Amino acid sequence: MRRPVLVRRDRPVRGGQPLAFAVGLVVALLVGAVLLMAAGHEPMSVYQRMFEKSLGDSNAWSLTLNRAVPLGLAGLAVAVAGSMGLWNIGAEGQILAGAMGAAWVARIGGTWPGPMLLTGMLVGAIVGGALLALVPAVARARIGVNEIITTLMLNEIALRLLQWLIHGPWKDPASFNFPLTPMLPDQAHLPMLFGRAHYGVLIAGAVILVFGVAASRTAWGYELRIAGSSADTARYAGISLKRKILTVLLLSGGVAGLAGGVELSGTADRLTEGISNGFGYAGIIVAALALLRPSGVAVVALLFGAVQVGGQSIQIIGVPASVSTILQAFILFGAIGAGVFVRYSVRLIQMGVDASGEGEEAT
Amino acid sequence: MTQTAAVELVDIWKRFPGVVANAGAHLRIDRGTVHAVLGENGAGKSTLMNVLSGVYRPDEGEVRLDGVLHRFHTPADALTAGIGMVHQEFRLVPSFTVAENVVLGAAERILRRQDVEARVDELARRFGLATEPDRPVWQLSMGERQRVEILKALWRDARILILDEPTAVLTPNEANELGGVLRHMADDGRSVIFISHKLHEVTGFCDVATVLRGGETVAASLPVAGTDAATLAGLMVGSTSLAGERPPARAPGEVRLAVSGLCALGDRGLPAVHDINLEVRSGEIVGIAGVAGNGQRELVQVLAGLRSATDGTVDLGGKDVTTDPPRRRFGSGLCYIPEDRLGVGLAPRLSVVENAVLRSYAQHRRGPFLLEASMTAHCQDLVDRFGVRTGPLGDPVAGLSGGNLQRLLVGRELGSGPGVVVAAQPTRGLDVQGVKAIQDLLVAERDTGTAVLLISEDLDELLTLSDRLLVMHQGRILAEFDPRNSERSIIGEAMAGHLPEEGAA
Amino acid sequence: MTEASMIGLLVATVSFGALLYLAALGELISEKAGVLNLGVEGMMAMGAVSAFMAAHQTGNPWIGLAVGVLAGALTGFLHGWFTVVLGAEQVVSGLSLTILGLGFAAYMGKNVVGRPPGGVLAPVDWGPLTDIPWAGPVLFGQAPFVYLAVLAGLATWFVLSRTRIGLALRAAGESAPTADAAGHSVVGLRLGAVVVGGGLAGASGAYLTLTLTPQWAEGITAGRGWIAVALVIFGAWRPGRAAVGALLFGGLLALKTRLQTFGVDFSPILLSMLPYVFTITVLIAISVRSRNRPSPAPAALGTTYRREER
Repeated sequence: MRRPVLVRRDRPVRGGQPLAFAVGLVVALLVGAVLLMAAGHEPMSVYQRMFEKSLGDSNAWSLTLNRAVPLGLAGLAVAVAGSMGLWNIGAEGQILAGAMGAAWVARIGGTWPGPMLLTGMLVGAIVGGALLALVPAVARARIGVNEIITTLMLNEIALRLLQWLIHGPWKDPASFNFPLTPMLPDQAHLPMLFGRAHYGVLIAGAVILVFGVAASRTAWGYELRIAGSSADTARYAGISLKRKILTVLLLSGGVAGLAGGVELSGTADRLTEGISNGFGYAGIIVAALALLRPSGVAVVALLFGAVQVGGQSIQIIGVPASVSTILQAFILFGAIGAGVFVRYSVRLIQMGVDASGEGEEAT
Repeated sequence: MTQTAAVELVDIWKRFPGVVANAGAHLRIDRGTVHAVLGENGAGKSTLMNVLSGVYRPDEGEVRLDGVLHRFHTPADALTAGIGMVHQEFRLVPSFTVAENVVLGAAERILRRQDVEARVDELARRFGLATEPDRPVWQLSMGERQRVEILKALWRDARILILDEPTAVLTPNEANELGGVLRHMADDGRSVIFISHKLHEVTGFCDVATVLRGGETVAASLPVAGTDAATLAGLMVGSTSLAGERPPARAPGEVRLAVSGLCALGDRGLPAVHDINLEVRSGEIVGIAGVAGNGQRELVQVLAGLRSATDGTVDLGGKDVTTDPPRRRFGSGLCYIPEDRLGVGLAPRLSVVENAVLRSYAQHRRGPFLLEASMTAHCQDLVDRFGVRTGPLGDPVAGLSGGNLQRLLVGRELGSGPGVVVAAQPTRGLDVQGVKAIQDLLVAERDTGTAVLLISEDLDELLTLSDRLLVMHQGRILAEFDPRNSERSIIGEAMAGHLPEEGAA
Repeated sequence: MTEASMIGLLVATVSFGALLYLAALGELISEKAGVLNLGVEGMMAMGAVSAFMAAHQTGNPWIGLAVGVLAGALTGFLHGWFTVVLGAEQVVSGLSLTILGLGFAAYMGKNVVGRPPGGVLAPVDWGPLTDIPWAGPVLFGQAPFVYLAVLAGLATWFVLSRTRIGLALRAAGESAPTADAAGHSVVGLRLGAVVVGGGLAGASGAYLTLTLTPQWAEGITAGRGWIAVALVIFGAWRPGRAAVGALLFGGLLALKTRLQTFGVDFSPILLSMLPYVFTITVLIAISVRSRNRPSPAPAALGTTYRREER
C-alpha cells in the first residue's frame, strides 16, 4: 500500500507565491460559482458585474482604491509586526482606536483650518492606534506575554469603547437621543484625487513604500529580520529585542490606527461603529497572502478592495454581499493549499515509512 | 555462536542526498549482553540505529530479530517488536509527571493515577532506577530524566534497548550508575546497545563492541575483555592517528581577559556560576573542561554579555566590561563562537551575506541605508579566506553543511582581528575534517597573539589544544592542570568534583 | 432588587455561562492538542444557521442540534486540514475561518432571516425539583443545552486527565515529537481535537438559534466566540476553572441587560468589556508566574509538526 507524503523541496518553486495566489483566486471563483448557482444566480454575469463595478472604469477604480487603502494599511501593520515574527491581530481594534483618535482631534479642532485639522487628525489616529498596541507591546517586550491573545482581546475592548463613546459622551445632543456622533467639520475631509478616490490613496501608497524601503534596504530593517529569524541571534548581535518588540508593535498599531484616521476623514461623515468593516481581520489575510512583504501587501490589498467593491455592487441584483466575504476567505485557503506545493513536493511512499529527506550528520 | 542473535542487521545500505550513511553495515547482538557500537561522528552509528528503531527504512539490507525478518515502517512498529531507543535529546513532556511520561506510549484505556504511579515505581525499583513517579519532569536533573527515558522503554518491555551517547549529559558518577543499570538489564535477559565514542566507558560497561567507520562495519562483535582501548581507537579513526599533534606552545604575553569573583544565575533563577576567577593571556589557549551543565554555558554567556553577572567583574584588555552589552564587548575586541551555531551564532533563514555581516553591518551603512555591494564584498572575502563552500551568497544560510556553517561563523568572528576569542564547543557535531580545520584556525589565531578561552566537552580536544586547563564543577573552577603532564583519570576525577590533592584553583 | 429579578439574573447567568462554556470547551480541547483555532466565531455561526435551518425544515429541534454540531465539526475540519495536515499558519487560518464562517452562514441563512423556528429546545421539566426555591429555576429550569454543557465539561475533564487518549492528546499539544515517538498519530489526534472542538462550537451556535433567541439573524453570534477563546486562557486550560470563568462571564452577559432594572448607573457597554480585561490580566499574571516553571499553556500551541523536520 502506498500513501502520499509531503517532502520539503530544497528551495521553494520560483515565482511560486504569485502562482499560489492565482490558484487561490481560481479556487475562490469556482467555489463562488457553485454557491451562486445553488442560489439560482448566473455566476458569469455576477462576476462580470463585480469586475465592471470594481475595475471597469475610472470611477470603479476610484472606489476600489479607496477600499484598498484601509486594507493595505492594515495589511502593512500586520506585515510590519510579522517581519519580526510577531502577530498583531489587533489591527481591527487599532483601526477603531485610530478613528477615535482622529475624531477626538476633530472634536477639539472643529475651527482649525483644513490642513492643520487633517494633519492633527492623522497624527491623532496614529497615536490612537499605537496607544491600543501599548499594552500588548509592553507586556510582550517586558514579560513575554503572547501578543496574539492580547491584541485579539483589545479588538473587542476597542469596539466596546467606541460603542460607549457613541452612546454616551460623544453622542450628538442634536441627534434626538439616537446614538450618533456629530458630523465631522467640512474641512476634516481629505481632498479628492479623482472620481471618488481621496488623498488617502497617496498617503497609504507613501507609507507602504517607506516601509518597503525601510524593511529591505536599511540597517533597521536588517535588524528586524535578524530579530525575526532568531531572538538569540539578535541578542548575540547586540540588537535589543525588547526595544525592537516595543517599537515594532507600536509602529504596527500606529499604521493600523492611521488606516482608521484615513477612513474617517476620507470616506465617512461621522464616527460610527461600522467605521472599520472588518478591515483589520481582512488585513491579516492580505498580509499572509503577501508573505508579509510590503510590495505584495499593496497588490493583494488592491485585489481585495476590488472583491469588496464588486461584492457591494451585486447586492442591487439580489446577491448577498457575503459572497465577497466568502470569496476573500477562499482566496486565502486556496492559496494556502497551493502554497504548500511551492515548498513541498508530494511523493508516494510505501505505507508508513518516514520520508526523511536527510540523514544524521549529513554533510 | 549457534544461538540465534537477538538482533541481526545484515548488509544495511542507507543513502541520503550526497551522502552514503550506511554502506553495507552489519551488526549482531546476542541476548543478555551490553554491546557497544563505536564510531566517530559521521561513521553511520545513528543512521544504523535509526534503521533498527524504524525511523529510517534501509535502501538495502535486512533487520532480523531472533532470526525473524522484520520490516519496520514507523518507530511504532519497532517499539511493538520490542526495540526501545533512548535518544540523546530526551523525548519527554516537561509538564507531565514521571509516571505520565513513562506510560505515554503504552497505557490502558482508563488511567488510575495512583495505580499507574505504583506500578512505575515498582518497575523502577526492579532495575535500580530511583525516581519519584508523581514529580513533573521539568523539575528533574538530566540524569533523572534519562532514567525516565530508560523506564519508558522498560515499561513497554523492550527486549532491545538502544542508548545513543547516554553519558554525554551525565557526571562520571551518574555514568557509573548507568553502567550498573545496563548490567542489570542485560542480566535480566535483555540486550543493550550502547552508542558512544568514549572508549573508557566502552571498556568499562560493555561486553562486546562493534566498530563502524565510513558507514561500514570495520570490526564486528569484538569481545571487550580481550581488546585494549588503543586497538578500538585505531579501528574508529582508521589510518589517522587519534591523538592530534600538539601544536608547539609559545610564551604567553599580557593578560587580555581577566575574570574575578564572577557569579551568575542560570535559566531557572538558581545560582549557576560561583566566584569564578581566571585570566587568559595573549598567545595562550586556556581550556575549560567539565561535564555538561556545570555552569560552563552560563559562564560563557556572561563573558559574551548575554547573561548578566550578579557579582564580580570581567576585564577586557584592562577595561572593565562587566556591564557592557554584547556589541560593545565585540567592539572592545572580544569575539564569541557560541555553542549553538544556528539560532545563536547564525540566523538560519537569512542569507549568507546577511549572516556574514552580523557583527559588522554598522560599517556597511550610509545614513540609515545598508550598502549591498560592500556587504557582499565583505562576505565574499570571508568565504574565500576561510574556505567556506556555499551556493549563491543570497541563499539562506541554513542550506550550508555543518562544517561550512562553522567556518563561516568562526571566520566572521576571527576575521575582525579580535584580541580575545571565547569559543564554546566549536567542533561539536563536525566531521573529522571539519574538526581539524576549526582547531587549526584556533591555534593559528593563538599564534598571532590572541587570547583564546576554549570550552569543550571533549577532553581529548582540550588536552591537545590547551596551554592551561581549568576544570569546572557545579559552577566553580575546581582545579587547574598542565595538559602536558596530567593524567586523564585525575582530570576526570576533578570533573566529577573530586579535588586532586595538589590541585590548584 | 427583588428576589424574582435576582433569580432571573442567576438563571440567565447559568444559561449564558453554558453557551460560552460549550464553545470554550471545544477551543480548550483543540488547544490542548496544540491547535489554536481563532475560528470559533465562524464555527458558532455555521452551527447556529445550520441548526436553525434543519429545525426549520424538519420541525425537530433535536435534528437541528445534530446538524448544528455536524456543521461546526465540518467547519473545524477545514481549519484542521489546513493547519495540521498542510501546515498553514494557525492564526491566519483561524481568522479566515471566522470570516468564512460568518460570510457562509449569512449566505446560507438569507432566506430564513426572521422566520419562525421549526421548534425550540425548551427548558427541561424536572417535575418537583423545579419548585425548589432558588435552586429549582436556576439549576432545574434550564434548557437541555445547559445539561449538555455540564456533561461535556465532565467528559472533557475525564478524558483529558484520566484516559490514554487524553494523555496522548495532551502530549501532542505539549511536545509533538514525543507523542509521535511514543507511537501516537499527532496528525490524527490534532485533527480529531479540532473537529470535536468544532462540534462543540457548533452546539454552542445551535443553543443560540434553538433556545436563546430562537431565530436566525446575521451577526447573531455577536462576538461570543471571542469570549470563548478568552475563557480558555482565563481558565488556564483547565475544564474546571473554565467552568468557573464561564459562570463569571455568563454573569456579566446576564447583568448587562439588567443593570438598569437593578438601578445601577453603569454603562452596560463598559461592563461587557470586562471579560477581555480580565483575560488580559490573567494572561499577564500567568506570564509573570511562569518565569520559574512551565506555563499552563500547551507548550506546542500554535506550532506545526512534521516528522521529517529535524
